[in-house]
Amino acid sequence: MKGQNPRPEDAGSPEGLITDASALRPGDRVVYPNQGVCRVTGVEVKEIAGQKLELLRMEREEDGAAVMVPKPKLSSIGLRRVATRDYVEGVFHFLAAQADDPELDWKIRHRDNADRLITGGVLGIAEVVKGLHALSRIRPLPTKEREQYDSSRHLLVAEISAALNVTPSIAEDYVDFALMPPAGTTFKLKPPPTPVELPVRLARRRPVAKSEDDISLDELGLELDAIPEIGEAAGEGEEGAEEKAEGAEAAAPEGEGEAAAEVAPPRAARKGKAEAAPRAKKEPPGKKAKAEPAPKAKKEPARKAKAEKPAARKPAAKKPAGRGGKK
Amino acid sequence: MIRIVTLGPFDDTDIASLSRTLYQAFGLGTEFAGEKPLPASAETDDGRYDAEKLVREAQSPRLIADDKVLFLTGEALALPPGPLGEPPAWGYAQQGGARAVVSVKRLPARGVSEASIEAWRRRLAREAIHFVGHLWELHHCYDGRCAMHPSWSPNLAANPDADLCNFCREKSERKVRLAKT
Ligand SMILES: [Zn+2]
Ligand SMILES: [Zn+2]
Repeated sequence: MKGQNPRPEDAGSPEGLITDASALRPGDRVVYPNQGVCRVTGVEVKEIAGQKLELLRMEREEDGAAVMVPKPKLSSIGLRRVATRDYVEGVFHFLAAQADDPELDWKIRHRDNADRLITGGVLGIAEVVKGLHALSRIRPLPTKEREQYDSSRHLLVAEISAALNVTPSIAEDYVDFALMPPAGTTFKLKPPPTPVELPVRLARRRPVAKSEDDISLDELGLELDAIPEIGEAAGEGEEGAEEKAEGAEAAAPEGEGEAAAEVAPPRAARKGKAEAAPRAKKEPPGKKAKAEPAPKAKKEPARKAKAEKPAARKPAAKKPAGRGGKK
Repeated sequence: MIRIVTLGPFDDTDIASLSRTLYQAFGLGTEFAGEKPLPASAETDDGRYDAEKLVREAQSPRLIADDKVLFLTGEALALPPGPLGEPPAWGYAQQGGARAVVSVKRLPARGVSEASIEAWRRRLAREAIHFVGHLWELHHCYDGRCAMHPSWSPNLAANPDADLCNFCREKSERKVRLAKT
């Protein structure tokens, strides 16, 4: 439980987002979005391509995998403190509350869930689990989302386990006691925390007349190039394949629906990788930030906003635009 | 190898039947490793057993490599209450670890008819697969027919099969294969 409570310097950020690496000390527990709970071990200076880089060194708790992130990248990867006990209790009230209708447009769903996992905090992870769970009650999840359901669960359980100081098994029982309570169970629910307003959300909501399918590979290339390469240094291998996969996915024609989405290997749990060393392999931090949609905010409005599907945006639209509170 | 340890009296043929089902579910040799005493230290004030502590403290045979031990008990199990209360405990497993327990306390009555004994064994096997599944890093599954669906869920079939869905089966096979290499 050491280091999980926000220090005064984090007071302005209820989600515990870490913007200043100097606020971190060895032993602090942090969450690396999509990677899990890590413990800060120190700072290392490396020279890469003639450039001196300060890297924050961490160790993923579940498997001891080493993770290094260049300090300037910290805010863009969404590194944050482990949620507080109070906040996590609120998450249970969210899990147990009646579910919104699941998002049926797979494109919106994929993108929103990817965003939530990066910038949504522990509540964002819970939103993904609960949303996919609600969808699964309508129809079985396609392979990619079945994997995402599992990996999100894994992340949620790990963070709850860290925040409440219980074992992962107990944390998962808590989650499903809320999500699928035994018949006859009633909870006295409090209003859940406000979901983190995802950065691209507001822009996206603005109706744009044009179709979103005009994305070209050029555009993708531009996008990828626009992102600083600094993170590469700390990474290792495998980017190429993933990048192509992501590109292919983003470019999948809408008409092909779920099937098209599945052409691309799942990002969160690529089988080959999982097999070779389940969760033991660190993801290249810089790459991750690159592969995920969050940094693409500037492109979102033109490409993604769907004027023709206002109804489908219902869950997000419900969320107050005001941000930031856990209360 | 999965080793079954009873923490109280169990019928030999029930254990033999459970061993066969676990072997089928995970493709791992399963054998009965004898009866051991309940760890008194895990008993709670209300007479139940703290599931996590029981699993940690019960005597286990020597485990090597990726061996797992599954304890069986007739006692009621307790979990620490969570933010919304205490979830019902049918068992407990160290996620990704080596030790798990299943309690038969919540199982439907075993009865004496062939059919009721068969149903009881199937449910025991289902719960055993569930908790051994956690040992192989499986998480809960939304599929009400899958053994990884939460044991208390209202979406669980009345007489659920002792089997994993394709996703959970494939994941467990990957994990087992990985452990063998
Ligand atoms: Zn379970
Ligand atoms: Zn399953």
